[in-house]
Amino acid sequence: MRIVGVVVVAMALVIGVVPQFTHCKAVSASSGSTMSMGSSTTMSDSSTATGGATTMGAGTAATQPTPMRCYWTARAAIGVALPLAAAGVLLFFSRRKETCRALAILVCVLGVVTVLLPTVLIGTCQPSSTVCNTTMRPILLATGGLTILIGLITLVRNELTAEEHTAAMQAAS
Amino acid sequence: MRLRSLIALALHNLADNELRSWLLGLCAFAIAAFAVTTVLVVHGAQESLHLAADRLGADVVVVPRGAATQVDGALLMGTVSKTWLPSSDVARIAAVPGVAVASPQVYLESLSHASCCAVSRMFIVAYDPRTDFTVGPWLHQSLGGALGLEQAVGGCRVTVPVNHNIMLYGYTMWLRGKLEPTGTNLDQTLFVTLPTAYAMAHSSRTTAVRPLVIPRDSVSSVMVKVRPGQAPARIARSIADAVPGVTAIVSPQMFAAYRSQISGLLRILLLVLGLLLVLAAAVTAALFAMAANERRRELGVLRALGASCGAVLVALLGEALTLALVGGLAGALVAAVGVGLFHTLLISALGFPFLFPAFGRLAGEVVLGLALALVVVGAAAALPALRVSRQEPADAMRQ
Repeated sequence: MRIVGVVVVAMALVIGVVPQFTHCKAVSASSGSTMSMGSSTTMSDSSTATGGATTMGAGTAATQPTPMRCYWTARAAIGVALPLAAAGVLLFFSRRKETCRALAILVCVLGVVTVLLPTVLIGTCQPSSTVCNTTMRPILLATGGLTILIGLITLVRNELTAEEHTAAMQAAS
Repeated sequence: MRLRSLIALALHNLADNELRSWLLGLCAFAIAAFAVTTVLVVHGAQESLHLAADRLGADVVVVPRGAATQVDGALLMGTVSKTWLPSSDVARIAAVPGVAVASPQVYLESLSHASCCAVSRMFIVAYDPRTDFTVGPWLHQSLGGALGLEQAVGGCRVTVPVNHNIMLYGYTMWLRGKLEPTGTNLDQTLFVTLPTAYAMAHSSRTTAVRPLVIPRDSVSSVMVKVRPGQAPARIARSIADAVPGVTAIVSPQMFAAYRSQISGLLRILLLVLGLLLVLAAAVTAALFAMAANERRRELGVLRALGASCGAVLVALLGEALTLALVGGLAGALVAAVGVGLFHTLLISALGFPFLFPAFGRLAGEVVLGLALALVVVGAAAALPALRVSRQEPADAMRQ
């Protein structure tokens, strides 16, 4: 369980840290762009689709920077990474089968949430060539998928060892 | 000895020596992952170029002299060419004997992160609706009519939904449909008629952050369809002779720079794959030889208890193939998922487009990578396994 705990903490670090540097606003800020890629533009024609986020139809054709979806996905990823890191630390120290089982299920659920953040729950910017789509989204999907896999393997291994332990106890008695 | 017992024995031995199992699994993982990545990228790139040439539908493409690579780049990667042909050349090309249709195209680009453009740096192809044969037939077949003023069709990856308006240079157009994927920049391209492009340029003087400038009486390229029975290569030579200052490229020779780039990458990847295969085979053979030597006595006892040479060989090969199967499958799947997820990033890193395959072909490529891992690991393990399995039980137990 110690190795699993370390791996889960590493996953939590990737989920929490990488999106902070790979959402459009962070990249455009670091490149010194005058008009942020992470900002959508409010448009006068409400039926006109923008290439970016969903801020449309309100008032003037002026540029009013509003954080785009990928920014909020990156922020939400911190919210997933923190409990995941805590689960990893607890997995590192826990010895009881019941605790490990509960933590493995928690890791699975957090993995699912990580996958859902850039796909269903919040999403990323619409243009497929933006950095949030080319880097942040695939990294979140890959680490989320891996986290689910780690959770499932931990759960199965935990159940198998629990059965072996019960069988050994029965044999001893 | 029954098959089930042999499998149980193989699995028991694998669990007993975790380090050896991990190393062998890793070899199979590396082989399958690298093979699948190579096939996905190279085959996908060739497929992509083929589809892009098909999408253009021209037998010959005429571009300004020395601008062939720029036009290729414009069509494949969306880097707009700044070279122009005089529009009078279109009539001269159409007059060349053997030319059925000559249709001009103008390549444009939307502004970068400007409030007047809904999509940043979008590649725009403006075509002549009177002569076009690239998008026109598809429009008639799918939408039942040609594009009018203020109308557009897009590639499959244009982010605006069909039947919505799209605003470029402050000029609003109606997106009527989307084309099939090619894996190239044509998938993110907007196709409009020349009158729409000129209307957009006119409107942009007052509605855009920066006006759209289309040089007067100029076109970016001319798509040529030759008459039935005529050889495109001969017509291309005739066009080059008749019209000075142009390069006529036959369709199969389009994207020549990208083709040579892909061939170069393929050569490097095959070299690395070859080295990887040799290395993996050597590691597998060495590990198996060591394991077989360690277990010489155990296998001798097995033979003395009645197991045949074949049964021992099957048990040993079963171990190798189980590891190759698990490691190879993991490697092939990781490579397929990785290439799929980081597809766009890989395109910008490699500098040429490639199309991610449909599920059927992807499954075939995963099976190919897995088969390669099984063959290499199986072949490398066969020799030491054969040597140990043929040993006399008495000799084996004495050592």
